[in-house]
Amino acid sequence: MMQRIRAAAVMAATIAIVPASCVSAKRPVMPSSPVPPGASLWQEPSDLAERDVFNGPWGPERAPDPQATFALIERKHSGVNLGMTVRDPQGREWSVKQPYPGDMDSEAPVEVTLSRLLSAIGYHQPPVYYLPQFTLKDDWGTHAEIGGRFRLKLEELDDTGLWRWEDNPFVGSRPYQGLLALLTMFNSTDMKNSNNTLYEYKNGNRVEQWYAVRDIGSALGDTDRFAPRKNHADTFERTPFILGVNNGHVEFAYSGWYKNYVRDRITPADVVWAATLLSRLTDKQWEDAFRAGGYEPEVANRFIRKLRERIEQGRALSRTAGE
Amino acid sequence: MTDTSRRRTFLAAIAFAILAGAPPALAQEARPLGRAQARPPEAASEPQGFLREPDAVQRVILFGDRRLGNGELTNGWYIDTGHNMIPGAGWLSAGPGYRQWYANDRAVMDASAAISWHGYKTTQARVEFPRLAGGRFLVGSQMRWQDFPQVAYFGEGPASSKSNRSEYGLQSLNIVGYTTFRPVQWFGIGASVGWLKPSIESRVPDEPSFMHSEVSMTADTRDFAGHPTRGGLYRVSATDFSDRDTGLFSFRRYEAEAAQFLPLAQSRIVVALHGWLVGSDTEAGHVVPFYLQPALGGGNSLRGYSDYRFHDRNMLLVSLETRAAMMMHVDLALFMDAGNVAARVGDLGLDKRSYGAGLRLHSRRQTFARIDVARSDEGWRFLLRLDDPLNLARLGKRTAPAPFVH
Repeated sequence: MMQRIRAAAVMAATIAIVPASCVSAKRPVMPSSPVPPGASLWQEPSDLAERDVFNGPWGPERAPDPQATFALIERKHSGVNLGMTVRDPQGREWSVKQPYPGDMDSEAPVEVTLSRLLSAIGYHQPPVYYLPQFTLKDDWGTHAEIGGRFRLKLEELDDTGLWRWEDNPFVGSRPYQGLLALLTMFNSTDMKNSNNTLYEYKNGNRVEQWYAVRDIGSALGDTDRFAPRKNHADTFERTPFILGVNNGHVEFAYSGWYKNYVRDRITPADVVWAATLLSRLTDKQWEDAFRAGGYEPEVANRFIRKLRERIEQGRALSRTAGE
Repeated sequence: MTDTSRRRTFLAAIAFAILAGAPPALAQEARPLGRAQARPPEAASEPQGFLREPDAVQRVILFGDRRLGNGELTNGWYIDTGHNMIPGAGWLSAGPGYRQWYANDRAVMDASAAISWHGYKTTQARVEFPRLAGGRFLVGSQMRWQDFPQVAYFGEGPASSKSNRSEYGLQSLNIVGYTTFRPVQWFGIGASVGWLKPSIESRVPDEPSFMHSEVSMTADTRDFAGHPTRGGLYRVSATDFSDRDTGLFSFRRYEAEAAQFLPLAQSRIVVALHGWLVGSDTEAGHVVPFYLQPALGGGNSLRGYSDYRFHDRNMLLVSLETRAAMMMHVDLALFMDAGNVAARVGDLGLDKRSYGAGLRLHSRRQTFARIDVARSDEGWRFLLRLDDPLNLARLGKRTAPAPFVH
């Protein structure tokens, strides 16, 4: 009897002290210093309607060649998704995120599609592309391999670490508030800080600091805390977006672990701003965004229809926002 | 503290572990590295079940697969959920583990410890170089200490009585060096040399230490080791245990094992065939220690009998299991096990039989849990296990199994 009690106690203690991907969404605080020169979260998309949403901001020239043979460098050892690092014949290194065996709730298509939408409306994004399958050369030869999200490692775009939702130079700014509203609109459930990347972008002689959200594939499903569905049209279609406005803040149906980032913080004007930006995308751009993620048209149309509903719901807050 | 409240506490702890999100490790077999996932595009699809699966089941599977399915791929801290435990340890185990891959998967270091519901304790550390010579050679070393306080024993021979049940405590320290040569991805020739120091509580005051060495050949074409739906595993091995103290307990063990998985009806039905023959050989006057004798009975062999129900120098086991995908991730299984133990290989037969039915909860690549109801001439047994029925994951353990386990 005592032995079992001891065993249970040791197990519980072990479980408690093993460092976990603890979910702690602290409330953001307003920055005490101004935005440093060269730092940005968002840039006004002056040419929004002309943007190539299929190839994204980095263009077709940086896309992976679907006919190429990629050499395995190493397998992915972090996070819950499968993946690997590979090198293409041009010597470029790619981080590949692959679906789970069985292909349930795959994040890779979502990540590429949402990256296209965000970059189209002015948010910084790294070069990501989707290949449904590719040719891999590993220790055992060359074979066809399940594809996924390909993210290019660029010399001019240096990953310098993470940035924090609760503490960054943009807290409270319209692009920051708008980004949170957009991620909520997408039912993004994995808004942990380690998914935010601070890039140093060398643009000629200029060095810019880009605050980017990355690994945004946990979305387009629901926001349940236990095993939220991702990339699941049925679930996304039946999940509400905005419940109302309370004390000047938008009340979202969002119930995920990162609710603190948006609860009693996002104003109707923030949502209107973000929704209006997205509403400027053309039909073709919407289709291209989902085509970039490898979606079949009928599935893409279901997501697009629902997202547009949410956009209209967001824009309708303009009456509340007084805009 | 009552049994009920203790169990509640324990379940709460487990629930916390799950919610905390640390990536635990499920039992993983030693698969060849280098081929990243060994997943051609067609492996993406999953056999559909005969019934529509409720969303709740899918969420449980998604959660389990994401948290448990990557197994040995994950760097950093993890929870050892008991893949170093043996039957009888209790259905739940937990402990801390830490793993790190280095140099583009050319080296891995792993250490873990765990304690089970029945107070079984294990700790192990392993260093492995799996991609030598372009993945053709693997070299590694592992140290394992374990303390199993109440292993069942019913006496030797097929006629041992169920009422003759006793228990012994087994502590052991095992250090092994091993290598595998893989000329092709699916075929490996393995060799290992190790030192085993067992200590038996309440039976033999001074157990000898053993030098053990093994050679083996394994062909493995299964699609997913944790939940195979096609392919097979075939292996033969010869192991020499050399008693370094008295010489009395030196013996050799020979094994041949085969498992084949046959998909039918678009993989909605999978027939699993399994056979396993273990033979022991000694010089005249030498004996095989009882805890290293092949054992039969329990959740992974003769499911209608108790764990370690039969011991002897030789063992034969044949199993047939048919799994039908009732839902995408829930299989209904019908099974039949037969086998026996004997002092001489020629006396082996299929006299001991059990049969039954069960449910399997699984993802595409991993079996998470199973419930079996099994019947034998010794009565009914209800089994809840967190492993796959054939427990082929035991082949991933590099150290000599003490006691012999399925």
